[in-house]
Amino acid sequence: MIGVPWAKESKQYAVLRSNALNFASAELAPVADDLENTVDSPLLWKAVEKAGEMGMLAALVPEQLGGEGVDLYSLCVALEESAVECAGFAAALLFHNAALVPLVYVDRKDLVEEFTKGRPLCTVATAGEVSLDDGKLNGNAPFVFNVLEGTVALLFPGSGEGRKAAYMRTGAEGVETRVDPYPLGWRVSNFATLEMRSAEPVFVLDKSEKEAVTATERTLYLGLAAIANGIVRKAFQKAYDYARQRYQAGKLIIEHQAMRLMLARMLCSMEEGQAIIRRACGVEDLGPAIIAWRRAGANACQAAMDGVQIHGGYGYMRDYGMERLMRDAKYCQMFPRPEEEQLLRLLDMVEQGT
Amino acid sequence: MLGQELSETGKRLFRDFPILRALWESGRKKSVREAIGLVEKAEEFNRTFAVPRALELDMRMEREPEYFDWEIMRQACKYRFLSIFIPKQLGGIAGEFMVANTSLLMDELCSGCSGIALAVGAHSLGVAPVITSGAMAHWDTVLREIVEGELKQQPVTMAYAITEPSAGTDVEEPEYLEKAKLSLEAKKVKGGYVLNGRKCFISDGSEAKYFTVCAALDRNRPLQTWTTFLVERGMEGFSTPRVELKMGQRAAHAAELLFEDVFVPDSHLLGYEGDGMGNGILMIMAASRGPVGAIATGIARGAFQHFLAWAKSKRNGKRPIEEDRIRMALADMWGMVQENRGLYMSNAILGDCIFGKALDNPVMNLTLSLPSSLRTNKIMRNFLNSYYGKAMINAVLRFYIKDEDMTQLLETASLAKFSCADNAMELCSRALSLMGPEDSEERRWVEKCYRDAKLTQIYEGTNQLNRLVVNNVRFEETLRVEVPRPFKKGVMA
Repeated sequence: MIGVPWAKESKQYAVLRSNALNFASAELAPVADDLENTVDSPLLWKAVEKAGEMGMLAALVPEQLGGEGVDLYSLCVALEESAVECAGFAAALLFHNAALVPLVYVDRKDLVEEFTKGRPLCTVATAGEVSLDDGKLNGNAPFVFNVLEGTVALLFPGSGEGRKAAYMRTGAEGVETRVDPYPLGWRVSNFATLEMRSAEPVFVLDKSEKEAVTATERTLYLGLAAIANGIVRKAFQKAYDYARQRYQAGKLIIEHQAMRLMLARMLCSMEEGQAIIRRACGVEDLGPAIIAWRRAGANACQAAMDGVQIHGGYGYMRDYGMERLMRDAKYCQMFPRPEEEQLLRLLDMVEQGT
Repeated sequence: MLGQELSETGKRLFRDFPILRALWESGRKKSVREAIGLVEKAEEFNRTFAVPRALELDMRMEREPEYFDWEIMRQACKYRFLSIFIPKQLGGIAGEFMVANTSLLMDELCSGCSGIALAVGAHSLGVAPVITSGAMAHWDTVLREIVEGELKQQPVTMAYAITEPSAGTDVEEPEYLEKAKLSLEAKKVKGGYVLNGRKCFISDGSEAKYFTVCAALDRNRPLQTWTTFLVERGMEGFSTPRVELKMGQRAAHAAELLFEDVFVPDSHLLGYEGDGMGNGILMIMAASRGPVGAIATGIARGAFQHFLAWAKSKRNGKRPIEEDRIRMALADMWGMVQENRGLYMSNAILGDCIFGKALDNPVMNLTLSLPSSLRTNKIMRNFLNSYYGKAMINAVLRFYIKDEDMTQLLETASLAKFSCADNAMELCSRALSLMGPEDSEERRWVEKCYRDAKLTQIYEGTNQLNRLVVNNVRFEETLRVEVPRPFKKGVMA
């Protein structure tokens, strides 16, 4: 199948990729459109249950804490394959898994058990401004996915290097949830802004905060890069298939040089994305993860846009499945922080030797 | 001196479009004033109607794609936007700056909501072939009906049907049309034609009363037999069974048209048999691709305005505009908007130089100054619909509209279309990237603009096609618009 890495992966990852792809084809492909049209649909929970059976609900949590204990690259492989069929679902899984990362640093099996019941999924809030004053959370956190009644949200109160990691439940006293019914992409779960006014956290990390925040961020950036790469692959597959069956100017679209160029660029993007993710997963630093996210996000936006263009008018219509990729791809680029801000942060990191 | 005579809108337009100031100062005050007045109306339309409902309507159309908000058309009637392409002599508002005004109107309306603007603008696209084909027999009936409906705020609208399920780009360029796989075919029968097949993605298709429809008389010789017809809703066998759920510009429907043995009388043949490409599509595209560039520009400007508002607002204690990178981005984006305006306005001014003479000349003025009853009586109608009647109108057109001019217009229009569309897409995309995960009304607007902008790279010929048109006209000189000649024989004759 086109889109699987050209460079050979070890057997462990190849098997995982194959299993994840089977899961995506069987569980996500048939319901991807419905998932987008109905937030919190029973179909979503059926897919979540299946993902749980595959160990995708506590992927990074060590086995001794009740998780799967896989490495970050494995999670990226699973997310990329899921995103081929439904980027929104993959994003939901990513936020859930990323939210559990700080628990690894405090050895809290009880919290892992409590947070990984599957419904609702956990989430991460990275944007906005949140503070922790006298043990209470205050501020706004926009752009939060997976939000249902009782969702456990991981927040990073504070700013810069002094950020902490705190868990909070939606629905708790002092927490207001403002749902945005109409996000551009990733529409499988509620998308909301959380407003905290002296809200009581469920748990605040009291050690290794910096490591926990960085590890969570790294998970998010690489997970998003993987999802973006899944979108590139889907855009390529759909555009390639369409180009081989639709005629224009008396010949197949695939025979037109301008369209071939677009498809070839998508091929480059796939390979580039996979290589850069693999490399960034191999180092502990945050910088390469941000670079991978940035590149893969931009590639996904371009690939999805070109995919729509190759489909012409059909690409623009909901029923033909291309336009969703364009909407989902943009969120891979916009989330979790503005791109240029992170670009500047990269230079800061190098200068500070971090 | 300018300051005393001009409204705030006028001053803004003079600043953004120095060409308008030049026209004003060279003695075209009346026409420039009309342009300013039209933009003022568009501003009011946006402020009082379109903007307050745009986001909600966009959401509703996602849940109920078949819903159409007729208030759009009623409001358009109020401001007379439905007769932007109908000459003043027929009661419309098209004057000396018909193309420029249309472009300025679309730019302004689309800065509010391009979906609502498309519902308004696609109607004029439907009207255009009735004008450019010189189908004078219908000027006093169909066009008058539109004007009268507009004055009574009972909208009567049109749509232009080109795209077919298996041929989009193919039906907009002569070289491709020859090889197109067509669905719709019109067979000549006694007294008219019988149409069978489908059209798809037709803007305003499910609301329009009249349709200008392109169809091949012989699907094996599409270029030679490509012909334009006037189809009326209510003709037996004609239906609009499906509307699409689009990613953006949703307030306007993209509909499928189904023709099942639809009989269209001879009187509803626009122009000659077989001149649907030269006289029809290419001429319309030359006049309309510039305004599509203006649509893209309006979307870009809407996104820019929301981005600017965001940049100036306080976010977590500071304003984004305090950062150099945001200031630079704003300048880049404004540069794109102004670059677009330069392109579409050059095209529009050229268009008005060409069409202005054809629609405002002694022969046309004399003809149109006759009481309409003289033109609509049976004898006159039959003459205008006859071979000789059409030859007479074509002789006038031929006198004023030259092949070279139309070819140059097509080139500038195609250039404006793809450049403006690409700039709009890039601007919206960049604005969203800079905003990032924001909970703000501005982000929601720019997301809508991002979805809306993509369509401008696709419709009115994909951007790829438009690039080839520029090449074919300018560098290889293989594409040339041919204005129909008097006494041109129908290809099926």
